[in-house]
Amino acid sequence: MNEPSFTLSELNRQVKDAIRDRLPETYWMRAETSDVRRNRNGHCYLEFVEKDAVTQSIIAKARGVIWSNVFQMLSAYFENETGQQLSSGINVLVRVSVEFHELYGHSLTVVDIDPSFTMGEIARNRQFVLKQLEEEGVLALNRELVLPELANRIAVISSPTAAGYEDFCDQLKNNHGGFVFYTKLFPAIMQGDRSEASIITALEKVYQYRELFDAVAIIRGGGASSDLNCFDSYLLATNAAQFPLPVISGIGHERDVTVLDIVAHTRAKTPTAVAEFFIAHLAKTATELIDLEERTVSESESRMMKERSDLFSLSRDLVHQSSLMIQREVAVVQQLSDKMKYGVRRLLQHQSHALENRAQFVQMVSPINILKRGYTLTLKNGKIVASLHDLSVDDVIETRFSDGFSTSVITKTKKSVP
Amino acid sequence: MQKMTYTEAKKELETIVSDIESGELDVDALTEKVKRASELIAFCKEKLTKTDKELQKILDDIE
Repeated sequence: MNEPSFTLSELNRQVKDAIRDRLPETYWMRAETSDVRRNRNGHCYLEFVEKDAVTQSIIAKARGVIWSNVFQMLSAYFENETGQQLSSGINVLVRVSVEFHELYGHSLTVVDIDPSFTMGEIARNRQFVLKQLEEEGVLALNRELVLPELANRIAVISSPTAAGYEDFCDQLKNNHGGFVFYTKLFPAIMQGDRSEASIITALEKVYQYRELFDAVAIIRGGGASSDLNCFDSYLLATNAAQFPLPVISGIGHERDVTVLDIVAHTRAKTPTAVAEFFIAHLAKTATELIDLEERTVSESESRMMKERSDLFSLSRDLVHQSSLMIQREVAVVQQLSDKMKYGVRRLLQHQSHALENRAQFVQMVSPINILKRGYTLTLKNGKIVASLHDLSVDDVIETRFSDGFSTSVITKTKKSVP
Repeated sequence: MQKMTYTEAKKELETIVSDIESGELDVDALTEKVKRASELIAFCKEKLTKTDKELQKILDDIE
């Protein structure tokens, strides 16, 4: 064995030199973060992994470090740009220097990060998940559910200790409409690696009691982390989309719209906004009820008013018509009685007139009156002489006047020629 | 009535209101309908604003 040999440290130094010679620059590298943690000095240690696009099995892995001063700058920049913390499970584009340490081995030191790559990756992933959901025909299922008019029984999926959960409950309890709400908490882990499975488990629990609820609120807020990874997960999204109750999301994110937000029946920004959504929904329901009530009251009132006025005018008409009728009848009777009076009077007048005439005539034709007018009455032997035949010369006749008589002797008779 | 859902009550109420507004009811029928409408409105209002203790208990008991 004449060949020279190295000690481990000698060999490692060779590797270190070779790497430094061969890879002297810093390089942009695409990888997924894993196992991100910070030590108490503020340095960030993590793993970079690359997964096979199809099998998702890890095909490359390297340790990485971001020194405290760099991390403070980069993490703030990254969070500001992407809206999420630099945490595990994120696809990143980082500028690294390749290091090799005799004791610690190979590692990558991060000197810069490009948040737009991550945003692109998140967006790409979202598009991918959304497309998958669409192809399976489940994307719009939850959105198509109708929230019942009286949606006041709410299953809440949240971390029990989150400030957002408290805000949500307070907001509902102190609503100005005086509406009653029933909430039931189904606790779940809302951030980190276990959140996806935890939220799905909570959804499955709600499903068992689905008859008791009108809607599910998935809320999160108040935590420092803004790790939204799980809300872009296909598994959670497909569960939520196919859930039989409307899902209302309020995962406390102002800027981003996660896949969960998209498949949810309604997306609100914060837990408080979810509560406001429920309150507004009941307020609308109450408004519709009050509208129906007002329509009932006003319609029935105006109808009864009309009936009363109809009745009044009917009764007025009745009085008017009947008094008119009576007046007319009275007039007829009056007329008749007038007519009768007149008739009787005329009749009486007529009769008395006739009587008078008769009396006059009787008077006029009485012998006394006739004698008064110059006529005389001739009697022979006490009998009225009406014809010359009864008389002869030398007959003694009595001539009667109105005021006495005379006696004469007939000396001559002569018939008048007709 | 107690077994009715809010939606059922509301639907019946809407039918009654449109009947009332049709103006084709006689006064007796109108009075009946208004009476029923008042009951339904009271029922709905109670659902909106009164806590159902029984339901609250059922929810509280879920483990």
